[in-house]
Amino acid sequence: MSAIDLSALSAHQVRDSIAAGEFTAREAAEAAYARIEALDGDVHAFLQLTPELAFAAADRVDTARAAGDELPSLAGVPAGIKDNMNLIGTRTTCGSRMLENYESVYDCTAVRRLLDAGALPIGKCNMDEFAFGSSTENSAYGPTHNPWDLARVPGGSSGGSAACVAAGMTSISLGSDTGGSIRQPGALTGTVALKPTYGRVSRYGVVAFGSSLDQIGPFGTSVDDVALALEAISGADSMDATSSSEPVGSYADGLDQGVRGLRVGIVRDMLDLEGCGAEIRASVDMAAETFAALGAEVGEVELPATRHGLAAYYIIGPAEASSNLARFDGIRYGHRAADPADVLDLYMRSRAEGFGPETIRRIMLGTYALSAGYYDAYYGQAQKARTLIIEDFRAAFERFDVLLTPTTPEVAFRFGEKSDPYTMYLNDVYTIPVNLAGNCAISVPSGLCSASGMPIGLQIIGDHFAEATLLRAAAAFEEATGFDPVPPLVNSLGS
Amino acid sequence: MLAHIHEGSPALAKDRLTEVLIRYEAVIGLEIHTEITAVNTKMFCGCPVAFGGEPNTRVCPVCLGMPGALPVPNEAAIEWTVIAGLATECDIALWSQFHRKQYFYPDMPKDYQISQYDLPFCSGGFVDIEVDGDGVAERADLGGALAFVGPEAVPEDGGYRARIGITRIHLEEDTGKMVHVGGSEGRIAGATHSLVDFNRAGTPLMELVSEPDIRTPEEARRFAQKLRSIWLALGVSDCSMEEGSMRVDANVSVRLRGATGLGTKSEVKNMNSFKSLHDAIAYEIVRQADLLDAGSRVVQETRHWDAGAKRTSGLRSKEEAHDYRYFPEPDMVPFSFDPAWIAGLAESLPELPDARRDRYMAEFGLPKHDAAALSAEHALACYFEDAVALAGTDRARLVANWMLGDLAAHLNAEGIEIGSSRVTAAMLAELVGLIEDGTISGKQAKEVFADAAVSGDAPGAIVEARGMKQVSDTSAIEAVVRNVIDAHPDEAANYRAGKTGLIGFFVGQVMREMRGQGNPAVVNEVVRRLLG
Repeated sequence: MSAIDLSALSAHQVRDSIAAGEFTAREAAEAAYARIEALDGDVHAFLQLTPELAFAAADRVDTARAAGDELPSLAGVPAGIKDNMNLIGTRTTCGSRMLENYESVYDCTAVRRLLDAGALPIGKCNMDEFAFGSSTENSAYGPTHNPWDLARVPGGSSGGSAACVAAGMTSISLGSDTGGSIRQPGALTGTVALKPTYGRVSRYGVVAFGSSLDQIGPFGTSVDDVALALEAISGADSMDATSSSEPVGSYADGLDQGVRGLRVGIVRDMLDLEGCGAEIRASVDMAAETFAALGAEVGEVELPATRHGLAAYYIIGPAEASSNLARFDGIRYGHRAADPADVLDLYMRSRAEGFGPETIRRIMLGTYALSAGYYDAYYGQAQKARTLIIEDFRAAFERFDVLLTPTTPEVAFRFGEKSDPYTMYLNDVYTIPVNLAGNCAISVPSGLCSASGMPIGLQIIGDHFAEATLLRAAAAFEEATGFDPVPPLVNSLGS
Repeated sequence: MLAHIHEGSPALAKDRLTEVLIRYEAVIGLEIHTEITAVNTKMFCGCPVAFGGEPNTRVCPVCLGMPGALPVPNEAAIEWTVIAGLATECDIALWSQFHRKQYFYPDMPKDYQISQYDLPFCSGGFVDIEVDGDGVAERADLGGALAFVGPEAVPEDGGYRARIGITRIHLEEDTGKMVHVGGSEGRIAGATHSLVDFNRAGTPLMELVSEPDIRTPEEARRFAQKLRSIWLALGVSDCSMEEGSMRVDANVSVRLRGATGLGTKSEVKNMNSFKSLHDAIAYEIVRQADLLDAGSRVVQETRHWDAGAKRTSGLRSKEEAHDYRYFPEPDMVPFSFDPAWIAGLAESLPELPDARRDRYMAEFGLPKHDAAALSAEHALACYFEDAVALAGTDRARLVANWMLGDLAAHLNAEGIEIGSSRVTAAMLAELVGLIEDGTISGKQAKEVFADAAVSGDAPGAIVEARGMKQVSDTSAIEAVVRNVIDAHPDEAANYRAGKTGLIGFFVGQVMREMRGQGNPAVVNEVVRRLLG
């Protein structure tokens, strides 16, 4: 075991230690790989390790430090990257057989920016195939295990990104969130996980699932680390027409300004949803009390249209996905069936062989929803519901600065526990409306479930491009609770 | 049933079409795809727009549809589309967006095409066409009377004018190209494998859809030609039908005269010239009429024009009812256009072919036919105006005559565009000047032109080098005429006795003596005077 215990250090501390010469970036990378060596056989957070890239990046940091150059914000910070983001020198499999041997030919903008800020690309993280899932059980390469309990899922689809941070293998990681794929695994693994406002972070280079919903965002063990990573990856990108030119804030500054006078709204009707665990419901009320104690103005709000969120999402998301995944046709790259009789046979067998069952289910759902004669009844209706949800959030943010909900209705579940898709989909009931409305939201650990000992996440939702406010609220909550969860698996290792 | 009559028949006789069109009315609509070659880069990425080249060299992650790549719209291409719409009297949408048109095909990298659906940039326009000459006969219903609602008579041509509606002009991305290897003539039948070249994939493509207002093959040709000349005047595209930057498909159906319902249509593709467009539609009209005459029916299908065999044939692929599952393109935000921006574009439209034609008639006194011919092709009009600027307005008609005569013949014979002619506008102006100031005769000018077309030398230099200067000096000509009369006393006596037709003999003899350099007008005058 390396002398450096990454799980005991924040990204800020890693960076500062390297800057102070306490250890080198190369040693930070070595520490990451040592911990992966020790734990990832059990956790399976990574699909691919990229030591050549990581050590090259570390050497650049160490060289820069030796030359006396000013180090960038994430210099030497080990990072995991979800395997749906392109990075030259890596395979980008999306957790699918379809792209088992697919080598990236260009860099994802957000990844490029993270690496330009000095982060070390330790490896590519496991995920549900093409980000379809909430448990990583849909990965073609086997699931990731929750560091809190290896018999439980880490959530998904960014389960690998969440688990590698929870297990202290990397300080930060990048995930993508279409309906909760960052926040839900964040909650289930006791990490801090942020989905930015739609357009805040470029989508160029993240393999598209739902183009109008997808956002890349960071995982970390603390709010200030997540703020630092968000700052690095945010901003307009000429390669993404939906990226926003809204100025990027200094997210890591001003986190300590507190929440006095901040208007905090509990989303009462979401809290009252059937299926929300009593302890989880109670955790949100306790969080509200914490905010009140800190001087925030706490009130209640209802978002009635979000009742239609899950249904709308399971039309819009699959509709866009069915279109986005058409390009995996066996012609130019990816899996191609052997000895096709003709081009139709090539298409049909390549896709049938390359895609897993959940992917095929979503493609069929989306194709159906967009078909002639069904479009108005499904896609058209879903867009109307989406408009209502957007309007609900808009009205709520006239009265409040941030909103509180649970991140998930329950804590991490056991493998195989949710065998029918609908039960699985319900796990994202709190996160999905935020994607439909395009707002930003963060999941912060708010306690442990008394029965299972598994972490609970609080979701704080912010207005469009109000990441600074969101992070300030999260930081105040984090500080007030003093809750710094470390999974028993990590503790068992010692340091 | 009777399809075989035409399936195997050679060129379609013109009178067959005329005969059919007496009994049947054809209803024709065109879909015209034009690549916007005026832009530097493709529709949604930074790859250059060009023709041909080594396969798959003008590609990037975006136009190859690599995982995670995103489209960013080319604003210049959108502006060109709006300009095209304004030039064809379309309404320009103030709010518009792209949609995805979804179907699987190997030449389409994403397996959907970014196109437009219910919100095209341009809609509801029109173009006026004029039909004259032989083409008029195809309008059997007009019966020479032209007292007709719709087409308007243009008496000076013996022709008519018709307004063809434009349903819409939308913008989309072009596909790549398939090359089938191992089959005959690159066709897929019998091929062992196929290759795809994505160089063209993502090129901005305007699709114009006409109203089914077209009634004859000639009208279809004129409409397509008129659009081409407008696009060229705007500079939006090079409009090469051979290279495929302008592609015209025709929807054709026929119905008995007097019927109001529409017949079953076929869509005819693969016409790579205006003549092919005309002939393919003519063929299709007769084919459909023959089917109906035989009590059979027309099958709705896509048909392929074979220019060699001069016939259309069904593609024999199973016709599937395509469900393109259009939905709004989520990778781009919708477009909102400022009316002031649109008005600014409308104001800065260049002179369009019809206006130019009318100006040539008014300003230079050109006959309508000549004015139309010169204004139809932008490059020709520029050449003409350059030459007139140098030669002088009073010589415009002469310049026009030379352009539509010797120059056109030369370009035709060489198969080149005017831009490649070795005789530049300045050279033509110089040549016309040499004729007008009497330096050379019209006959000599033809020789000079032919020389210049090959050598590229200036006309003045050619005249100098060949010693071709025309002799107009009366006393010098008188001396030669006297010698000729003295040498032919019998002919001179006969002339004086009344055989005045012998004047040509004397002029010819004099010109021969002068090696063709005598001023024909002066020679004529002197011969008459001295014989008289």
